[in-house]
Amino acid sequence: MVLKKIFWTTSITTVRGKKEKQMKTIIVILASLLILPAVCSAQEGDLAAEVRELRAKLERLEKKMTDEEAQKMKRAEAERAALTEQVKKDVMTDVAAKSQSYFGKLVEQTKVGAYGSMRYGTSSLDDLHNTFTFRRLVLTVDSPIAERLKANLELEFERFTELEVEKRLFSSRGVGLQQAVEGTNHSEISLEQAWMQYDIADWLKFRAGALLVPLGRFNINHDDNRWDLPRRSLIDRGVPVLPSTAAWPELGAGFLGDFSAGTTGKVSYQWYVMNGVALDAELEQISQTRAGDTTKFAQEVELRPSRGTFADDIKSGKALATRWAYSPWLGDEIGVSLYWGRYTPDFLPSRPVFSLALDGKKTWGPFEIEGQYVHTRWSGVKDVALPFARKAINSETEAEIGDVETEVEFELANLATSKQGYWVDFRYRFWPEFLGNTLLGKHFANPQLIATLRLEQVWFNQLIKEMAFSSTSLTQFEKENRLLNRVTMGLTYRPVPLVALQLAYEYTRTNRGKSLSSVTNFLTSSKDREYFQHAVLMGLAFGF
Amino acid sequence: MDSKISLRQIGIWLVCLALSLGSSQFALGQEGVFLKDEEAPKAVFPEADSFERKVVRSNEEIKAKIQQRMGKTKTSLWEDSYVTFVAKKGETILGYAAIVEEIGKHRPITFIVGVGPDRKIKDAALMVYREAYGGEVRDRRFLQQYKGKQLKDPLLPYRDIQNISGATMSVEAIGRGSKKALALLEVVYFEGTERK
Repeated sequence: MVLKKIFWTTSITTVRGKKEKQMKTIIVILASLLILPAVCSAQEGDLAAEVRELRAKLERLEKKMTDEEAQKMKRAEAERAALTEQVKKDVMTDVAAKSQSYFGKLVEQTKVGAYGSMRYGTSSLDDLHNTFTFRRLVLTVDSPIAERLKANLELEFERFTELEVEKRLFSSRGVGLQQAVEGTNHSEISLEQAWMQYDIADWLKFRAGALLVPLGRFNINHDDNRWDLPRRSLIDRGVPVLPSTAAWPELGAGFLGDFSAGTTGKVSYQWYVMNGVALDAELEQISQTRAGDTTKFAQEVELRPSRGTFADDIKSGKALATRWAYSPWLGDEIGVSLYWGRYTPDFLPSRPVFSLALDGKKTWGPFEIEGQYVHTRWSGVKDVALPFARKAINSETEAEIGDVETEVEFELANLATSKQGYWVDFRYRFWPEFLGNTLLGKHFANPQLIATLRLEQVWFNQLIKEMAFSSTSLTQFEKENRLLNRVTMGLTYRPVPLVALQLAYEYTRTNRGKSLSSVTNFLTSSKDREYFQHAVLMGLAFGF
Repeated sequence: MDSKISLRQIGIWLVCLALSLGSSQFALGQEGVFLKDEEAPKAVFPEADSFERKVVRSNEEIKAKIQQRMGKTKTSLWEDSYVTFVAKKGETILGYAAIVEEIGKHRPITFIVGVGPDRKIKDAALMVYREAYGGEVRDRRFLQQYKGKQLKDPLLPYRDIQNISGATMSVEAIGRGSKKALALLEVVYFEGTERK
């Protein structure tokens, strides 16, 4: 088209004959002819370059897009992985938090406490010294495991300082065992309570484990810092009339609860089945040198009523214990309780022990009367002694080899056909205003002084005095009736409810000419004329 | 007695347990939650038909004012805030109530104290008891002793309050808490900015 046009334009110019114009035209045409191919060629080159550039650009774009896509996928994958990790972490954290909150809560809600007492005592008895005694330290733990479910534990260290056992197995021309037990006098570690309780309702709670026997009011409220006198009562501890000494736990299970009776009244009960008290053996070893005589090595086996075992019971029958109390209004209560169970081990005939207790408390403002009566009947004491003699064959066996005399003795101890007794406390709480600004009063919100008078009596009916048997026959079986009285007067200062500083005077007396040690488990008297005791006690009881 | 008796006894327990589990009227003894926040004011003002709830933030000034009014009685616990209520019947104000906490032996006891316009305790009710022993402080026969008590009263066992044996720490805690509630309501409602 371009050439055609050029040709047509040249023809026209020739026809018109205008030389100069023609020349110009020719020059223009020639110039155009010279330039046009170059222009066309340049245009074609630019286009190709442009195409290449575009292609390169496209390729770059494609690459970029691919890269970006890859990166995006990588990112998404990383995000997915991070999310999974986070979820995992969150779940773990949640689980950890939940478990931490459960255990944390359990630990936080579990409370460790303690109570205990020590005292300084003087006595008129020759064999007792003026002494400090660390009576006991009881560690307490209570924990609400879950709603309606709780656990309780009391571990007692009585007069406990240390216990050390050393053992060595050796071989030297044979095999030998060397053992040494080192402990402190009268020391005892005892599990006083360890139970779990399920609160089904106020009137029905299920409790199982090592339970305090609900006989009377002292055993179930035995914490030292609750009482205002530094020594426990005779019927609960010092004799005792209870089948076993307080605090008296038994392994068992049962129910307890309380319910309203009228507008201000309340009835509470405890009812348990448990292993129960049994005649159990206590072994006493004596090694004694004697001036002008042989050296004595004696073993005394005493069968005496003891709290039931926490292992296999040694008797087939179980014991029942129940206490019912009625409180007509706040501050007053009257209770009746029973204990019944076999006390003989299976190798002796089955005989039951039965206890009945009555207890109560009456309050008139600052004045209180609180007391407890217990009657315990050990059935068939002689029926038990005869088969015991048959089984044990000889009550006493002795032999002398060279300068050493060996003696083995079996006896029944602490048994009477029946024992009964009571304690009654008269208390008066007061706080003289003038003490409020002294050291005794100014740091405490509600300090108290408590004056107490306690009267106690115990009657022993047919208490075993002497028993001997030989070749399976009873050769001696003596019993006696005894009486034990005690009067205690005390003054207690309580800066706070859980701490008591006590001062008390005691007068204890049994039948004239009889030993106090044969009717108590805490008074040592080798002389029969020591049938009474004067004692002054200063005590500290605490709880936290 | 022999082992057969024991088996029979176990059977009796199981029957008792089954019967009790079938009962719908369960209530907790000793520790437990007895009242929720929203139920509490009704327990001390049963005749009220509406309650205005107000949370009072505690600060040093309020603490100082409360302590001043409590006198020698020292609280065992300062709360961060107090839930209080104005109890009304129609447009008439019947009184005020405050939820307070005090430590018993080891754990806090939560309870509500209702105070009448005469600045005397109208009633008190236990909301949460956490101690293992001494749950008898929840009993009506114990709490009704606080009715009519005011800030000037000692609110102490063996003084003007009948003690519960074995729960003296909890009894003292209820007394301290009641005094704290009386002082708080005095500061906030009777003398303070919320005066009605």
